[in-house]
Amino acid sequence: MPAKHTENARPAPDPTRFSAGSGFAPSVPLVAIFLVLLLGLAGASLVIGDVRLSASQLVAGLLRQDEFATTILWQIRLPRLLVAMLVGAALSSSGLVMQAYFRNSLASPGLLGVSAGGAAGAVVAIGFGFASVSILTVPVMAVAGAVVATGAVVALARSGASTERLLLAGVALNALLGAVTSYVLSAHTITYERNAQILFWLLGGLEDRTWEHVWMAAPIVLGAVWLLPLGRPMDLLSLGASEAQSLGVNVRGLRRQMLALSTVLTALATAVAGTVGFVGLVVPHLLRLVVGPEHRRLVPLSLIGGAAFVLACDLLGRAAGNLRLGIVTALVGGPFFLWLLRRRA
Amino acid sequence: MNALTATHLSVPGRLHDVSLQLSAGRLIGLVGPNGSGKSTLLQALAGLLPAEGEVSWGGQPLETIPILDRARQLAWVPQEVQFEFGFSVRSVVAQGRYAHGDDGAGVDEALACMDLVALADRPVNRLSGGERHRVLLARALATAAPIQVWDEPLAALDARHALQTLALAHERRTAGGTVVLSLHDLRLAHCLEEVVVLHEGRLIAHGKPDTTLTAALLSEVFGVKARHEPGLTLFL
Repeated sequence: MPAKHTENARPAPDPTRFSAGSGFAPSVPLVAIFLVLLLGLAGASLVIGDVRLSASQLVAGLLRQDEFATTILWQIRLPRLLVAMLVGAALSSSGLVMQAYFRNSLASPGLLGVSAGGAAGAVVAIGFGFASVSILTVPVMAVAGAVVATGAVVALARSGASTERLLLAGVALNALLGAVTSYVLSAHTITYERNAQILFWLLGGLEDRTWEHVWMAAPIVLGAVWLLPLGRPMDLLSLGASEAQSLGVNVRGLRRQMLALSTVLTALATAVAGTVGFVGLVVPHLLRLVVGPEHRRLVPLSLIGGAAFVLACDLLGRAAGNLRLGIVTALVGGPFFLWLLRRRA
Repeated sequence: MNALTATHLSVPGRLHDVSLQLSAGRLIGLVGPNGSGKSTLLQALAGLLPAEGEVSWGGQPLETIPILDRARQLAWVPQEVQFEFGFSVRSVVAQGRYAHGDDGAGVDEALACMDLVALADRPVNRLSGGERHRVLLARALATAAPIQVWDEPLAALDARHALQTLALAHERRTAGGTVVLSLHDLRLAHCLEEVVVLHEGRLIAHGKPDTTLTAALLSEVFGVKARHEPGLTLFL
């Protein structure tokens, strides 16, 4: 794509230029603050749990010098931490991208049914026994399911469609794909674990995550890197497609990348944690309140902020007697969504 | 030299075989009843709508001009826009510099031209329709593109800002630029150098306003009786 190269060849824009007089804090200190917050939450989720680790045990465990702490950290808490951060970054940035794509701040992977599509794909892979073929089967099938869902949403509600149309398309897809997930699981799992499995995929969680899940979700890092330079053209696109094109954005190429990224990021997150709702809605909204609507800032912050939000929800759930992640995000996100709807009306 | 050329331009159901040559350094008005294809023609000329036929800018076929170069040559102002996100007025106007590496050049001047300095930090999604339009015009001016294509820039504006916009268009033209704008107020069309008349997707007439907007044409195209008064002038 020649246009993309020309865009990348432009001189690096001064990140503070647009903040002049606009009242937004510059973004580099904010990124630093968010990273510190994320590190703090990560540290907390490594030491807090059924067995509480001291700081020295944490260090000894991470360096594999204390057998007990090593086992807890390297077999249970680190994979869970990494999966949580990857899932949070993926869902949050995916929501941000969908909102810019549809030019609607209520678009998000959960509400539009893309998460449900990813879960249905993953469950089909597991239910029909494809999962044992390769570690790639589940994420690939999740991507396939999410692609179907995204395609349906794009067909039902084109960019710039009304909120009603967009959300109703999501309601229909969530119902349909949730039914597929429940059916496959009830037909293919042993009775005693059926309900737990259905619950995991419909209301995501981070229980028993292993290094295999970390590797499955690892491509999220690549997606995040790909997403970073798209912030500026997304600003222009979020105010209108033909206007953006007239200003020099390769709209067709940008839109393709945005759809591909938001779909794949959601699918990978869903493949390892089930459908975790509201992350893609809550985090970009909160960030816009803090730093304003410019995607050049929102993209990096949504990656870090999403990871921090999911970690915080997971910590909250663990503190409240092992509530599943999907329950905590729904408890936080549901009222937030209703508040947003009320504010828009 | 021709700034914009259209050859056998058609958009199914909306525009039929329009051929048109617009010279550089002119101020051109596009008139026609509702649904006559004004917006379609402007979008096709701006390269924003797939159309049959050929469009060239400054003698160069449009499809051979890379997208960033297009943005440096032609600025587009749509008829209506809804802003979902609360970007500040200044940051939206500064988007006009995207194709220039976001250098911010001329943004303050463009804000001042459209009386937006006091609104510069306001979120665009809280502005009135007329204010939104002024933001879009300022963004188009900030591009410094020699060809300016504005779809109904005057309809949403109050009298003062409408005249100010016309004066700006005149200024661009005097500086060698080309301004093409669609409008409904036929009295204002007399302030322009050329008018292009569209009717049911077809080009009906193209020429100086005084000789083109005849009583016969106004009656045929717009279905109105009009007394033709050449040389009608407006003051800012």
